[in-house]
Amino acid sequence: MPRYELALILKTMQRLETAAALRRTVETLMGKGAVVRSLENIGEKTLPYKISKHNLRHTRGGYFLVDFSASPTIIPSMLDHLERDIDVIRPTILKKLAQKTQEECPGLVPPDHEGKSFSKRK
Amino acid sequence: MFAVRNCRSFITFTNLKVTTRNPGLWQRSLSIQQYENPAGNNDMPIKMENPYKEPPKTCILCGVTVDYKNIQLLSQFVSPHTGRIYGRHITGLCGKKQKEVSKAIKRAHHMGFMSVTLKEPAFLKDPNVCDIKYPE
Repeated sequence: MPRYELALILKTMQRLETAAALRRTVETLMGKGAVVRSLENIGEKTLPYKISKHNLRHTRGGYFLVDFSASPTIIPSMLDHLERDIDVIRPTILKKLAQKTQEECPGLVPPDHEGKSFSKRK
Repeated sequence: MFAVRNCRSFITFTNLKVTTRNPGLWQRSLSIQQYENPAGNNDMPIKMENPYKEPPKTCILCGVTVDYKNIQLLSQFVSPHTGRIYGRHITGLCGKKQKEVSKAIKRAHHMGFMSVTLKEPAFLKDPNVCDIKYPE
């Protein structure tokens, strides 16, 4: 069950170095007992705003997405490890919610004023 | 019809003293009673749901998943001049979707996916879904 999603922004480096950084990250994850489901490359883009990290001002970055299932206890230590990695500009770990059925949307319901005219509080 | 006539005449004869006030009303109510449950009359309307019922009005994002990665979709609800998120009265979204969009935009800001103070120049030519009116 995909439980977490790591949105990783890496410094623009040579292909070899990027591969090494990703390998490092995934191996750390697996070492802590996570099951990595997939690793996606969104591409190298200009950052929406300049980010200063590890004494460097970054303008461009490589965006990667790592889906993994893990125990919640490893998340703080994983974030700490990623913050210390000099090749990582911005790491974010998010919970991946189970996709709810979109057909439950009731549509634009007109506001019910009658039900609220009398306050239920004494 | 034969049976009706008989009944009516019989009743009016016996109740002459009682119903002198509104004889017309009594006869009319009798005739209604006779036609209420006629045996084998198929002319009554069939009970069904309103066939001309309009489908429920939906907002433009009904059935669309909102994701923090989809910055092109999120940028449609953001001002091109300042990058501010438009309110519900401008976007026309339902409560749930407005909250989802707002949360996704803030998330994208923090994670370094979307710009805060401006709208991506590549998305400026996107179709306008918001009802924004600038003062003259």
